Amino acid sequence: MFKKILIVNRGEIAVRIIKACREMGITSAAIYSDADKNSLHVRAADEAYHIGAAPANQSYLNIDNIIAKALEIGADAIHPGYGFLSENSVFIKKVKEAGFVFIGPSSRSVEMMGEKTAARKIMKKNNVPIVPGTTEPINDIDEAIKIAKGIGFPVMLKAAAGGGGKGMRKVDSEDKFREALERAQNESQKAFGNSDVYIEKFIENPKHIEVQIIADMHGNYAHLFERECSVQRRHQKVVEEAPSLFVDDETRSKITIAAIDAAKACNYFNAGTVEFLMDKDKNFYFLEMNTRLQVEHPVTEMITGIDLVKEQIRIANGEKLSFSQDEIKINGSAIECRIYAEDINNNFAPSTGKIIHHRLPSGPGIRVDRGIDLMTDVPVYYDPMLAKVITWGKDRDEAIARMERALGEYQVAGVITNISGFKWILNRQSFRDGTFDINFIENEFMPLVPYEWEKEISKEYEDVVSIFAALLKDKESKLKTVSIDNKSNNHWNNQRYE
Amino acid sequence: MNEYVVTVNSTKKNIKCSGNGIIELGDTTYEVELSKVNKHSYLLKIGNKIYNIVTNKANSENYSMSLDGRYYELTVRTLLREKATEYLKNQAKLSHHSEVKAPMPGLVLSVKKNVGDRVEFGESLFILEAMKMENDIRSNSSGVIEEILVDEGKSVEKGETIIVIK
Repeated sequence: MFKKILIVNRGEIAVRIIKACREMGITSAAIYSDADKNSLHVRAADEAYHIGAAPANQSYLNIDNIIAKALEIGADAIHPGYGFLSENSVFIKKVKEAGFVFIGPSSRSVEMMGEKTAARKIMKKNNVPIVPGTTEPINDIDEAIKIAKGIGFPVMLKAAAGGGGKGMRKVDSEDKFREALERAQNESQKAFGNSDVYIEKFIENPKHIEVQIIADMHGNYAHLFERECSVQRRHQKVVEEAPSLFVDDETRSKITIAAIDAAKACNYFNAGTVEFLMDKDKNFYFLEMNTRLQVEHPVTEMITGIDLVKEQIRIANGEKLSFSQDEIKINGSAIECRIYAEDINNNFAPSTGKIIHHRLPSGPGIRVDRGIDLMTDVPVYYDPMLAKVITWGKDRDEAIARMERALGEYQVAGVITNISGFKWILNRQSFRDGTFDINFIENEFMPLVPYEWEKEISKEYEDVVSIFAALLKDKESKLKTVSIDNKSNNHWNNQRYE
Repeated sequence: MNEYVVTVNSTKKNIKCSGNGIIELGDTTYEVELSKVNKHSYLLKIGNKIYNIVTNKANSENYSMSLDGRYYELTVRTLLREKATEYLKNQAKLSHHSEVKAPMPGLVLSVKKNVGDRVEFGESLFILEAMKMENDIRSNSSGVIEEILVDEGKSVEKGETIIVIK
């Protein structure tokens, strides 16, 4: 087994990987930028190495510095986490060339799935259903408009190199096409260094259903069932759960087979996720494959009992899957809420600052994967996700009840968070009955932003917090009258010049 | 007896504090007890009901608070101060003037309007790039652009005024 793993990431996922290393007796080495000296992943690791300036391209994305650091410290494997370099095939190649093990798939698989148009072609060839549209990037705008009209507006523009909603635009009509394309290409260039964009048919009110797959280097493939991630804002997931209330046994069996076919089509090994859109009639279409660990992996861990990160490390070490498909059953229900540092009422503006108060929820069925702690900074340079609260219950209702309790107990001060937003989401009828789709936030929540949504959940305690505010203010006015400290031993204090 | 006006979710509540643990809110009298856990965390007892409140003071009259997973922003003023503020607000309304501010720190990618342009409420004014996303910032009022204070390509802080509309 590896002696030392270099973790090329920050935030909650770096902490998550550090925990797996510790359980396995492997030394964890963290890297950090100027902005992250004080971060939790540095506090949690066995070893921490400064890697560069705050902007990601000078630190967490600086391949040459990272490889040099790995050589210098005698690491034998590298875990990329998600985001940053996790799906960068050039990085994976360089890691291998330098003699390290990459904890993830081969660079070839990443290449095949990373370029979304090529991935669509491969899926089509292997009978995995894809969303109708182009399998080539747009290079002529008039031709593209013609194709879009052929498919029928609205259409989606998507970054060929994309993921996470960046470089993705919905276009409602022909006259908006040009500007949307420009913006998508710009964003794509900035986020991925590649401006290729392709067209897909817009599927009306679908659900986002994805399948966790895992495979070793000996040709063993398994799936760990589906996750539903339909609660999204601008294609960023907000709430995820497993299993999906919408997926019945028959659909589950079909979609998991399709996911394994997709993984096999790119000779995949290690943990990966195959994402699908599912329409009202439970038809599903391949969206993309994420060739890495996913943010929402904990909900799958909670219902299967499999530790995906430890499994990833063992697979990278050449071991076989520690379980067979038949041994894995869905046990209960799990939900994850992503805690972002954002101000919902201020157009979801990211909130930065220092965590000046932090108290974690606890008790049955609760797990918090976090990148923050007391007195850590929330810098402007990186993703605003602070933590993930995950709850498990014997059924979905219990998981939701536990989530409400957990979020009520979770105290964070110093930045504005979206915690209160979940109170609204979790109590919404369409969320409760499972009929929500990927437009849930856009259609049901956004019309109540700013402030209106809050009124629905906050009436109950308005009097309480008002009384509290008045008491604080009242105390303050009294404190001011007793500001001279007579007991002080500091004699300089007595000589006051007025 | 001190009297305060608390504004929460745009409703105003008058609260009287007698200083001996008795509070009057509207027609109701409450017995209250406040204990400080640390600078940001308090335990409030109203009668025998328990509330764990987290608070952060923005300035002398604005507080943010969270309680049981809900988030509140409150303004609290003495009755006198509240009346003075109301008066000033009414004066300000007479000269209509509004500022569009950067809702987050970021980079101004492009400004879509020029000084003198007429804009409507909700119309796109400029693109602000923050955390790798391009954000379309829209007008908060209708009127004529009087001033554009930031050049394209410049970084701005949260709350910085970008455009003044009259």
